[in-house]
Amino acid sequence: MRTRSIFKTTLALAALSVCLSGAHAQDAKTLTQWDIRTQPSSNKVMVDAVARFEKANPGYKVERSAVLNDPYKVKLKIAFGANEPPCVFASWGGGPLREYVKAGQVLDLSPYLAKDTAFRDRFVPSAFDTTRFDGKVYGIPGEDTTLAVVHYNKELFAKLGLQTPKTWPEMVKVMDTLKANGVAPFALANKAKWPGSMVYMYLVDRIGGGEAFRKAANRSPGGSFADPAFVEAGRMLQEMVKSGAFAPGFNGLDYDVGASRRLLYTGKAAMTVMGTWEVSAALNENPEFVKKMDFFSFPTIPGGKGSTGVIGTVGDNFYSVSKACKYPDAAVELVKSLVDNEAVQARLAENRIVPVKGLTVTDPGKLRLLKMLADASNVQLWYDQELPPALGELHKDLVQALLGLSITPEEAANKMEAAAKDALR
Amino acid sequence: MTRGEGAPPPQAAWGGGSFTRALVPAAFLAPAVLPLAVFLLYPLAETFRLSLVDWNGLGSNARFIGLDNWAALAQDTRFWLALRNNLALGLLSVLVQLPIAMALAVMLDKASRGSRVLKVLYFLPLLFSSVALGVIFKNLFDPNFGAINAALQAVGLGALAIDWLGDTRFALASVITVVCWQNVPFYMILFLAGLASFPSDLQDAAKLDGASDWTVFWSLKLPHLQGTIRTAVMLAVIGSLRYFDLIYVMTGGGPDGASEVMATYMYTTVFASFRLGYGSTIAAAMFLVVMLIATLGLRLTRRFETDV
Repeated sequence: MRTRSIFKTTLALAALSVCLSGAHAQDAKTLTQWDIRTQPSSNKVMVDAVARFEKANPGYKVERSAVLNDPYKVKLKIAFGANEPPCVFASWGGGPLREYVKAGQVLDLSPYLAKDTAFRDRFVPSAFDTTRFDGKVYGIPGEDTTLAVVHYNKELFAKLGLQTPKTWPEMVKVMDTLKANGVAPFALANKAKWPGSMVYMYLVDRIGGGEAFRKAANRSPGGSFADPAFVEAGRMLQEMVKSGAFAPGFNGLDYDVGASRRLLYTGKAAMTVMGTWEVSAALNENPEFVKKMDFFSFPTIPGGKGSTGVIGTVGDNFYSVSKACKYPDAAVELVKSLVDNEAVQARLAENRIVPVKGLTVTDPGKLRLLKMLADASNVQLWYDQELPPALGELHKDLVQALLGLSITPEEAANKMEAAAKDALR
Repeated sequence: MTRGEGAPPPQAAWGGGSFTRALVPAAFLAPAVLPLAVFLLYPLAETFRLSLVDWNGLGSNARFIGLDNWAALAQDTRFWLALRNNLALGLLSVLVQLPIAMALAVMLDKASRGSRVLKVLYFLPLLFSSVALGVIFKNLFDPNFGAINAALQAVGLGALAIDWLGDTRFALASVITVVCWQNVPFYMILFLAGLASFPSDLQDAAKLDGASDWTVFWSLKLPHLQGTIRTAVMLAVIGSLRYFDLIYVMTGGGPDGASEVMATYMYTTVFASFRLGYGSTIAAAMFLVVMLIATLGLRLTRRFETDV
């Protein structure tokens, strides 16, 4: 009797809840766009590009949200998980974008590119490498060309009579001189784990060449994350730690609050391995210091196979269209507006280089960077963005453990290889 | 007037059918039950369902893998490390926060009216946003620029100026210190409320009989507070098992998992590694652990139950 009345009550509740749910109203031709251009100048580039699109395509309205880097990744994941992604979204290409592609949620842009070859051929061909999966392109390179380099305080170097090192033995001497003068060689803020990965990636590249990672990630014959190149890179990283190459606290310092940059600003550290955006960050925080900043490429290692490879991204942010978008053709047009000539020139004006051909770059630093890129034997995307997300996280965890001396290089390499065997079949 | 034969039995006023009769309690229950079902029961059931799949959280490519996730969890050293850290946090919360909170409460209670400013001051940490607090303490702990190490060096204790958050040996302890600092005021208020309800004539009588302050506290006030203490212990333990914010902000669970707790591990598993299935397994396990410890705790401490 009692259970029956409970059953009936439940039934009645269910009936009530059905009555309460109604149909959704539909908006007329709204395109949603999410990106991470929150800084005033780069935000303006976006706002202007969107306005141009709206003017050229009457009847469409763009609803744009600009979100900070790390919250953006979470927001995007939740939106895709709920199958309500924005029409146009920014990503870094590589592994995370591939997850969305695998789930069938991203529009294949190749047919659009094939139709508009003039648009396609503006770009440097390698710029599509990080968004091409199974021969199809899923993202348009749109923001910048950023490479990891060794930034250094040239005033401090000059004061101590130091030359920028070209080889590892020279680097060791530079580090020794700096330490002898009470300056930490490198600033590193590795709480978020990706900054430390940059040093490691370069060590791997210089020791094993670009193909060490390429073969391991593609599971090519002979490719393995337990390859001596990875073990040796781990060993050298730990040697750096033991010799005091990094300013204290590196594994707990937070890059996002500027913990590594203030070491540079105050002259407590002389170098940092970081993406070229470090200059823009410094420009916002400490414009005076930028005059003392310069960069060089990561030194070569005697006996190593790599010398000119670069770690970084050609495109930086890529713009994609979701399949859930009701107006895919219009969304593709919107993406084109985001990287049209005016937008590219506007980005150039604030020293960001969209990977299109024939840009007139005048900034000497950027010119050197482009030369570095042109001379590069290989361009390696950040491991954590290239690999499937779970493996990318493991890589960063292992590098943090290596830096903390809580794991041996062999253990780290073997753990990575074991997980890669599982994840990359 | 006596009740006539013609008066209908009360139920009849609600109408005939038994379904309609059930509708009335249903309508009254709906406002409470519906939100509960939508926001609590459904997600909970869904978490357990998701713990049985291998899924990146996107699209419809979820693969049912039975108890594989649970088997993996049993072998996952990172999870056990996180659980151990949770338990350490719980233990230290009880052993550190509650005595300090009690001491502050007793003193503030004794000072009664004159302590209003102090009460506000002591209460402040609880009012700060955890994220803001985390950022502030991150800066205080900074070994290069932080005030803590600078102070230690200034008074000649440079040897104690360690790498608070970046060293696997100290990271957890450093974070727990901040967690305690933030939460002491909450228990202080709880105890203060308990002390306020202590009958003053009892205290006067005891004093008249020559009892010292200490005896009054130890033999009268503390027993009076046993129910409050029990509540505080349970809240501290359960809160510690679910803890997330300050740890996430200050260390992200690092370095190398040194300050990882179950909630931060679940968060990175789902949002950074895209493993929604396994993340749900961690969440479900977390629920079971909290449930088990809470039930056990309430059982074992039942004899201390009071109305306060």
